Amino acid sequence: MSLSQLLLTPFAGALLVLLVPGNYRVVHRFIALVTSAITAIGAISIFAGFKTGVAGMQFEEYAAWVPAAGFGYHLGVDGMNIGLVLMASLVGFAATCVSWDIERQPKLFYILLLTMIGGSLGAFLSLDLFFLYFFNELALVPTFIMMGVWGRGENRNYATFQITLYLTLGALIGLSGLALLYSQSGANTLDWVTLKVWLADKPLSSHAQNLILPLLLLGFGTLVGLFPFHSWAAPGYAAAPSATAMMHAGVLKKVGLYVLLRVAIPFFPESMNHWATPLAVLAMGNVLYCGWVALRQRDLYLLLGNSSLAHMGFCFLGLAAAGVIGVTGVVLIMVAHGLLAALSFGLVGHLTKATGSSDLDRLGGLLKTFPFVGGALIMAFLAGCGVPGFANFTGELTVLFGAWKSFPVFVIAAAWGGLIIGGVYMLRAIRDLLHGPLREGSVKSGDAGPWRRVPFLVLLAALIYFGVNPASLVDRITPTAERIAGTRTATATTTHATAAVTSHAAH
Amino acid sequence: MDAHAAQHAIAATPAFSSQPEDLAWFILLLPLIAAASIAFGVRRSSFLSSTLSISATVVAFFLSIALFLAFGVGGYPAVTSPFNWIHVGGLQVDLGVTVDRLSVLMLLIVTGVSSLVQIYSTAYLKGDPGLSRYFGSISLFTFSMLGIVLADNLVMMFVFWELVGVSSYLLIGFWFDKPSAADAAKKAFLTNRLGDFGFMLGILVVWSATGSVQFTQIGNVLGGNPGALGGLASIAGLLIFCGAMGKSAQFPLHVWLPDAMEGPTPVSALIHAATMVAAGVYMLCRAFVLFQAPGAWPAHLWFLGNISALDIIALIGGFTALLAALIAFQQDDIKRILAYSTLSQLGYMVMAVGCGGPDAAMYHLTTHAGFKALLFLGAGAVIHACHHEQNIWKMGGLWKRLPITFRTFVIGTAALAGFPILTSGFYSKDAILVAALDGGHPVLFGLGVLVASFTTFYMLRLVIVAFFGPYRSEAASHAHEAPIAMTWPLITLAIPSIAVAWFGLGDYLSSHFNPHFHAHEGGGLFGPFNHAPLAAVFGSGALLFGATAAFGLYWGADSDPLPARLGLLGRAMRNRFYFDEIYEGIFVPMHDMLGRLFGAVDRWVVSGLGIRGTHGSVELFGRALRLLQTGNLQTYTFLFAAGVAVVVFVATK
Repeated sequence: MSLSQLLLTPFAGALLVLLVPGNYRVVHRFIALVTSAITAIGAISIFAGFKTGVAGMQFEEYAAWVPAAGFGYHLGVDGMNIGLVLMASLVGFAATCVSWDIERQPKLFYILLLTMIGGSLGAFLSLDLFFLYFFNELALVPTFIMMGVWGRGENRNYATFQITLYLTLGALIGLSGLALLYSQSGANTLDWVTLKVWLADKPLSSHAQNLILPLLLLGFGTLVGLFPFHSWAAPGYAAAPSATAMMHAGVLKKVGLYVLLRVAIPFFPESMNHWATPLAVLAMGNVLYCGWVALRQRDLYLLLGNSSLAHMGFCFLGLAAAGVIGVTGVVLIMVAHGLLAALSFGLVGHLTKATGSSDLDRLGGLLKTFPFVGGALIMAFLAGCGVPGFANFTGELTVLFGAWKSFPVFVIAAAWGGLIIGGVYMLRAIRDLLHGPLREGSVKSGDAGPWRRVPFLVLLAALIYFGVNPASLVDRITPTAERIAGTRTATATTTHATAAVTSHAAH
Repeated sequence: MDAHAAQHAIAATPAFSSQPEDLAWFILLLPLIAAASIAFGVRRSSFLSSTLSISATVVAFFLSIALFLAFGVGGYPAVTSPFNWIHVGGLQVDLGVTVDRLSVLMLLIVTGVSSLVQIYSTAYLKGDPGLSRYFGSISLFTFSMLGIVLADNLVMMFVFWELVGVSSYLLIGFWFDKPSAADAAKKAFLTNRLGDFGFMLGILVVWSATGSVQFTQIGNVLGGNPGALGGLASIAGLLIFCGAMGKSAQFPLHVWLPDAMEGPTPVSALIHAATMVAAGVYMLCRAFVLFQAPGAWPAHLWFLGNISALDIIALIGGFTALLAALIAFQQDDIKRILAYSTLSQLGYMVMAVGCGGPDAAMYHLTTHAGFKALLFLGAGAVIHACHHEQNIWKMGGLWKRLPITFRTFVIGTAALAGFPILTSGFYSKDAILVAALDGGHPVLFGLGVLVASFTTFYMLRLVIVAFFGPYRSEAASHAHEAPIAMTWPLITLAIPSIAVAWFGLGDYLSSHFNPHFHAHEGGGLFGPFNHAPLAAVFGSGALLFGATAAFGLYWGADSDPLPARLGLLGRAMRNRFYFDEIYEGIFVPMHDMLGRLFGAVDRWVVSGLGIRGTHGSVELFGRALRLLQTGNLQTYTFLFAAGVAVVVFVATK
């Protein structure tokens, strides 16, 4: 399967659903399920066919679009996005599966969901930053609509509004950064591969770097929930339908990080040096602050939302450290967290539906009634607090190693946040939700049947596979990570050398 | 490890040439295969689950014997690291196994005790609906524990370390609908996590100083340059020790182990007496090269001089041994007495490591694994017979009713107390006392002797009260001996509690840590009295003293005479010196307070930055809200198009 075919599959599915009249509900479901399954299988085959140990783009495709402005349809995968593409497709499949019994306007729901899957795939696959941005927006808009129409809870409207506002503003700020990059680089293109070659030769002036990078960090950071621009996340996921929360927390949120990895580190080496410490401080905001907030939550969605923000802190710490170990760690966490967030939101969605509540004070002892969902949720909670055997541990471990030399104090804080604070709220959740005696009258329907288990099993299998055999992912990431991080190290050394020469001359 | 061995280790690295050490992979994977098959296949049949789990462990035990014969007896140490786990930049982690005297001995202990405990469990937990889950978890535990034993680098050790924590969590919380069990499981996991936090940082410090996480390579670096850890030497050692502090339940992280007794009794025997809690001691011995570096501190901690990590470890171990023995004086729950005794013995082992005697620590670990598992399984048989009564003051007279349990329990008690010449415990305890003397720690030697007499005292209190005197309850008078699946493991475990079973183990271990070691002349059964008479005589004297006191106080007593005599101290002992209360009063509220504070800030301030702000912005956003809430596609399309327009505008400028 080529990358274009992979990208087009969900959109073709959306179009098909659109064409089938509204009362053929089973057909809509079926089309959505089949297209997302084909997408997942395609992504697996591309992941398997991806050559390890190679740094350049693979499966590349290019078509000029607006040659005058330098815009082109350019797809390709390298170490930065190959894992994300796989993750996005698996999560997309799982999200379609858990949407099986959407009652209200299923046709529109499936169109939006497939658009979201296609949009996020497009964002990860596009090497032209303009298209990357376009696809990201294309996936964001359905997020807002799905929350508004199919959302849950009393705070739904407020949460929808908040998330729309934050993410739209964040995207616009990020866009202005990209636009400035376009105008300042002089390359007359936003094509990443061309820009990389161009900027290696003619790096951006310090002035331009210091002007643009903050916009990118702020804009794309907000899309990820960088502290203190994070308050949209937890209530947003609490209000979103399961599939949307899975797709956004799992997949779409990673686009911001992905852009920062691709653009900020290699193109803004000097400015990144400058911003590394503030970024690491904000990362601690995510890990510790959001972790402590998670400690207080009695609603499962708010707990998961805040814990997800805490995990993003590890990514920002890795970004700030920016060495090859750090960058590899960030990609590992992005993949792992995508799978985990989808798994947790999906499972909690099932429990909420079956019990009518997501309030930890009203639930308890559910493991007896829900041996599968409860057991899987215990695994998800354990993965969420960094238990080895799941991919999240390897990612966080790698980031800790990668950041240790630059930010030892922050690494200590992050380890505390991940191992202790994370451990406390995750184990408390298991204790209150699943262990202990069953609360009377809280269960309306039962455990997931064999077919309902499929999406969860797929996500768990991927989490465990990458947790046990991280090399399968690391060996694909590292060659590219070396190139991306190499830019910064090289520049840092030259800067030091220049500084040394200058100070020498001054004497 | 000598030069020859190191050379061999390097030569052995390109694996898959089916060398004898590859057997270790089978031993490691067998329990994992059992766990996975139970989870995904046969969990509906508790019979199949238990059969699968037990046979995997028993086969692993026999393979361990083969490996022991190949490597333990005169063999060479070997390291194979054939699998790339994470290779990125300066972080190189392989999946590898170390096969040497230390690990093959530990393999025998883990698979041996695990086999017996599982066989025992089939009878103890007969009819429990969660039996498959139980055996799945036990298999997972065995796998994780074997992983710790075989790990050839710090990261793999950490991985299995955490997995042991998880399986222990699952097993303590086996009866998860019981709130006390669920709470105990959580507490155990989180307390261990505190230790793991330090362990993780220790790994980072060692990695950044030596450039490796692999034991052999770290050993080579430190061998070439003992000061490679620089001013962080002592801190690195202490951080790594934090891991052991959690797993081996050393003060101040000792609070989880007694609560862990909420798990089924066989679990207590396997995990919380013989293996998992010994992992901390094993890890200290495995990473002992790190602790041999001369003590050094960062500049601003100059006042600590050249105190080494080992000195502090020895103190913590000694203190834990004493503290736990004192608490054990006044416990009435049979399992809790044994739990505190375990804590105390672990403190003993940690103290031995701290005194520079890892061989003595491993020796005691080995003998203790046998007799403490025996004691716990014996306690299980008693509890089983008395209809889940755990209070020793409601037992009594059991020696007539449970003859096999009684006899084996007495053998275990004698070994734990260190009865001279006849029991294994005497020799290993003697080794520790000798290590304290040789290491130049006379105070710790004295403390060791004191704890030895305390140990005899509280164990005899337990035996006298529970097994002698009149029946103190209805349940005790109707007690029946356990079925054969339970008594048979008791008898088997009683064998290694007798001295000769471990004959020569001390020399075996000493030559592992010191290649130039030569066995003492005049060894044999009376060896301790010949070459270190001071330790042997004091150790035996302590036993005599403790025994006299226990008989004097408890023989024929109807109730505990101690509380009246000890007064306030006794109350503190009964209440475990209030450690749980102190922790729950300080640490938990501290985190909760921060959570509450930040939760409030998050709701009111940070959200306000974007949304609530001033009245005016509320108005404005209210309008925007209505606009967006139309939910119609045109609005979104418009916004989106506006975004695109901005790009095109900037692009074509």
